[in-house]
Amino acid sequence: MGVTLKDEIVAWKTDNGIMSLKGKRILIAKPGLDGHDVGAKIIALALRDAGADVIYTGLRKSPDYIARVAVDEDVDAVGLSMLSGSHKEIVAETVDCLAALDAGDIKIFVGGTIPADDHAGLIAAGVCGIYTAEMTVDDVLSAIDKELAA
Amino acid sequence: MSRALSRVANATVAETLKHQAEHQAKRPDQELYRIGVTGAPGAGKSTLISRLASRRVERGAKVAVVAIDPTSPVSQGSILGDRIRMDAVSDDPNIFIRSIPSRRAHDGLADNTADLLWAMEGHDFDEVIVETVGVGQAEYSIRAIVDTVVLVLLPESGDAVQAMKAGLLEMADIYVVNKADLPGAELMAGDIAATADRRADVEGGWVPPVLQTSSRDADSFAALDEAIEAHRAWRQARVDADQVRRARTRYQVQGLISRRAEELLEAMAEDELDRSPKEIYQALLRQLASAPEDGDE
Ligand code: B12
Ligand SMILES: Nc1nc2c(ncn2[C@@H]2O[C@H](COP(=O)(O)OP(=O)(O)OP(=O)(O)O)[C@@H](O)[C@H]2O)c(=O)[nH]1
Ligand SMILES: [Mg+2]
Repeated sequence: MGVTLKDEIVAWKTDNGIMSLKGKRILIAKPGLDGHDVGAKIIALALRDAGADVIYTGLRKSPDYIARVAVDEDVDAVGLSMLSGSHKEIVAETVDCLAALDAGDIKIFVGGTIPADDHAGLIAAGVCGIYTAEMTVDDVLSAIDKELAA
Repeated sequence: MSRALSRVANATVAETLKHQAEHQAKRPDQELYRIGVTGAPGAGKSTLISRLASRRVERGAKVAVVAIDPTSPVSQGSILGDRIRMDAVSDDPNIFIRSIPSRRAHDGLADNTADLLWAMEGHDFDEVIVETVGVGQAEYSIRAIVDTVVLVLLPESGDAVQAMKAGLLEMADIYVVNKADLPGAELMAGDIAATADRRADVEGGWVPPVLQTSSRDADSFAALDEAIEAHRAWRQARVDADQVRRARTRYQVQGLISRRAEELLEAMAEDELDRSPKEIYQALLRQLASAPEDGDE
């Protein structure tokens, strides 16, 4: 018997080291007035190709709105894509809004234009990963994969 | 509610049966009214549902929306894109939207839709609207699980309608020619009405109305809302509730068995698949018959 499609997929996933994103629900969100959506869409598609079920909010959503969608859709993680510079305020608000909805266990990732100096502060605020354009998309996926498997 | 749904959405067949056994007693007698919205990819189903849902809320209903998007057969991931088209209502506290992937199903639904709808009973909703995956002519399983089927068509889908004549087209309770702001809607509506009339032969039968809607004309959705009410009243008077319940149970059990069979087939070692179909079939039957698959563990 030859190599089946299923074998190929399993081999591909093993090559990438990505196994746990299958069946994971992830909300990709664009908070605030930031209209840069290229990175968010690339990440959404990459997550789908790694097996995740991805919901995208569209542009210009408030942290409160994002938290409510995350709860209604019962996602495993929220990915905030931010290139506008207001990441500190947005992360703090999103963490608060999720906690207010009793959903503090939903993980938060951020990506976009985030200066290295701000990373430690965001992690302290409750973010579990920061992924900027300096990382390859494959590296971003395996980092998220590890975080969600934990 | 949100977490309860996830429990069912991610469950194996054994877990689903266990959940159902626990909740069977608490189920209300009156089931949620179920509206199905189906049609070709991009016909405007999600946009229409958001307009329709606001109308239903104006009537005083609390509405749940289950929006199904296709799972990639290669990566098994999905982009659940319906919600973004329902933006206008996703802030409404009387509307709850849950996006789900179709997973292994190829019938326009998700392989566990029946179980999800089952789990929605007894929560704080009056009705549920189900959006199918974008479909062609043959994917009409939605008929088995909802009360009112709304088929969304496009003005220029004349050829597609030709092809649908022996499938989905016969199953719909309400036809909607959407995007009526585009040319050809009138013509299309006329074609459909001619088909629909032929279904009206039975005495007291339901004559499916043919409506035109456009996202640019908010008022055009009033007629859809009213047609659903009319169909609902007709069903209440004419359709045997026991028969409906049994048909739904049949569909649900069929789904559980085929999912369980797939679970077992996927778990089978490669060399076991070198046997004859009959031997594999018999091995599967033996496994199906043995615990803990019956959910009693
Ligand atoms: C293209 C671009 C635009 C386009 C956007 C088109 C679009 N629809 O997205 C246009 C021309 C419209 C634009 C406009 C503006 N822009 Co501009 N823009 C850029 C530019 C050059 C590239 C952005 C991009 O698309 N990169 C490619 C993608 C793939 O990379 P990425 O978004 O970073 O995403 C990657 C990672 O960050 C990560 N990632 C991103 N999101 C997420 C989310 C998650 C969950 C994860 C895990 C990972 C992740 O993964 C992605 C893939 O690797 C950047 C400069 C730069 N080099 O970054 C400036 C930049 C972002 N823009 C900037 C500015 C100031 C503006 C304007 C305000 C300019 C103006 N005065 O009008 C407007 C604002 C528009 C608005 N409403 O927000 C500044 C922001 C400064 C800041 N942060 O303080 C930048 C940094 C340029 C600069 N150096 O000044 N812009
Ligand atoms: N001109 C016009 N465009 C419309 C109308 N309704 C929806 N659209 C557009 O049609 C496209 C598809 O709309 P959706 O609501 O996503 O269609 P859908 O049937 O849910 O699509 P899938 O779920 O992907 O199958 C979007 O670009 C809408 O803006 C309408 O009445 N008129
Ligand atoms: Mg849709």
